[in-house]
Amino acid sequence: MDNLVIAATERSPAVDFDFAAGVLSLKGESYPEDASTVFGPIFAALEGFLGVAECRALRFDFELIYFNSSSAKALMNMFQLMDKAAARGVTIEVNWFFAREDETMKEFGEDFSEDLEHVTFNLATTQN
Amino acid sequence: MAKSDGGFNLFDAEERVLAEANALRESLAESAPDIRNGVESLTESYRRSVREQRRLVKVSDRLQNQLASVNQELARRKAEAEEALARLREAQETLVQAEKLASLGALVGGVAHEINTPVGIALSCASHLADSTAQMRALFEADDIGVEDFERYMETASDTSQLILANCERAAALIRSFKQVAVDRTSSERRRFDLAAYIGETLASLSPRVRQAGHKVTITCPPGLEVDGYPGALSQVLTNFVMNTIVHGYDPGQSGTLSITVDEPVAGQIRLVYADDGCGIADAHKNRIFDPFFTTRRGAGGTGLGLHIVYNLATGPLEGSLAVDSATGHGTRFTLTFPRQASGGTPPEI
Repeated sequence: MDNLVIAATERSPAVDFDFAAGVLSLKGESYPEDASTVFGPIFAALEGFLGVAECRALRFDFELIYFNSSSAKALMNMFQLMDKAAARGVTIEVNWFFAREDETMKEFGEDFSEDLEHVTFNLATTQN
Repeated sequence: MAKSDGGFNLFDAEERVLAEANALRESLAESAPDIRNGVESLTESYRRSVREQRRLVKVSDRLQNQLASVNQELARRKAEAEEALARLREAQETLVQAEKLASLGALVGGVAHEINTPVGIALSCASHLADSTAQMRALFEADDIGVEDFERYMETASDTSQLILANCERAAALIRSFKQVAVDRTSSERRRFDLAAYIGETLASLSPRVRQAGHKVTITCPPGLEVDGYPGALSQVLTNFVMNTIVHGYDPGQSGTLSITVDEPVAGQIRLVYADDGCGIADAHKNRIFDPFFTTRRGAGGTGLGLHIVYNLATGPLEGSLAVDSATGHGTRFTLTFPRQASGGTPPEI
């Protein structure tokens, strides 16, 4: 399966899905004009990968500074997709990074983790 | 529900649930009406709720976009304002330097004027002596010198050489004092100096301007009072005070008395009071006279920097304080207080 690498723009995050290593990441800011152009490819890749990832161990790093409501909804959908896959037996660990003083981003992480039953969800502060 | 392009739909899961609810309702067609109606009303509520969610996400996205662009605009304007401020400060600094040079120019003009008189006298005496000598030589070569001729020549030689000597000495003294003032003004060097003598030298350089305006100057300073500090700053302060009085202090044709009074109220603290008996400063202007660019003579040569420079020198290099006391029609009095001995540290820019 091809890796998915998309550079960050001013309004969309950097995407790095390394399927061979089982490490996926989203970093940066997300408030695109049109959520589907940004999250469409991400979703398609994630759905395709999770469909053939039985019995593997995956790590997903989120390091987001800011996102809008559409992006929040898209993230929720991604977590649901991951939780379903985890229920089927894919081992998934999520690392949710936030800046030390960014309480909002920490609370978003906590909210997302409440809906997850099968995914291991870690909150961690970034270095700076 | 319209799907977004690329097959991606934020509310895909919700729409699937609604489709399942519709299928369930159809399969319940044969069941009891209350169950059917119940499922139908639940489905309808959920549909409304999903619609509401979509609407909220859209509204929220729009607000967040607006917020982001407002923030960007804010950052841009802040950067612009900061840049403008930096440019303004630079321009102000340039103007302050130009103003200082201009007042040095006034000093140079004064000195040139002052030196002109003794040099002129010496020149005409020398020329008169040369003429008399040529006449004597002619008489001598004709072997026709009388006692009277010789006596007259001796008198002329003695008078003119005395005048030449005195006036050259006067010119040399002026050059010496000006040289010191000019060096202090441009070098910002710290040194020990006799306060009374230094005030005298600075005022002497300015005296043509003062005399031209018809003003009198009185200086009262304890003799032998030695100060360790920055004479250039003091000279600049006095020059600006005097030039201010000449430009603003009196109505045209009116003249008065400028006074400089120095004492040492507390050991080690010098108090210099500069006063004129001119038209004073209007109350509305009093709080602004030290502000840069404040002038009542804009367009008539005033830059509004003279007293701003005075204030900066008084509180900077001189490490002192400056107060103004003035009322319309009752003259202006500046009180400069500064330590007799400047503290150490790097020499400030003057």
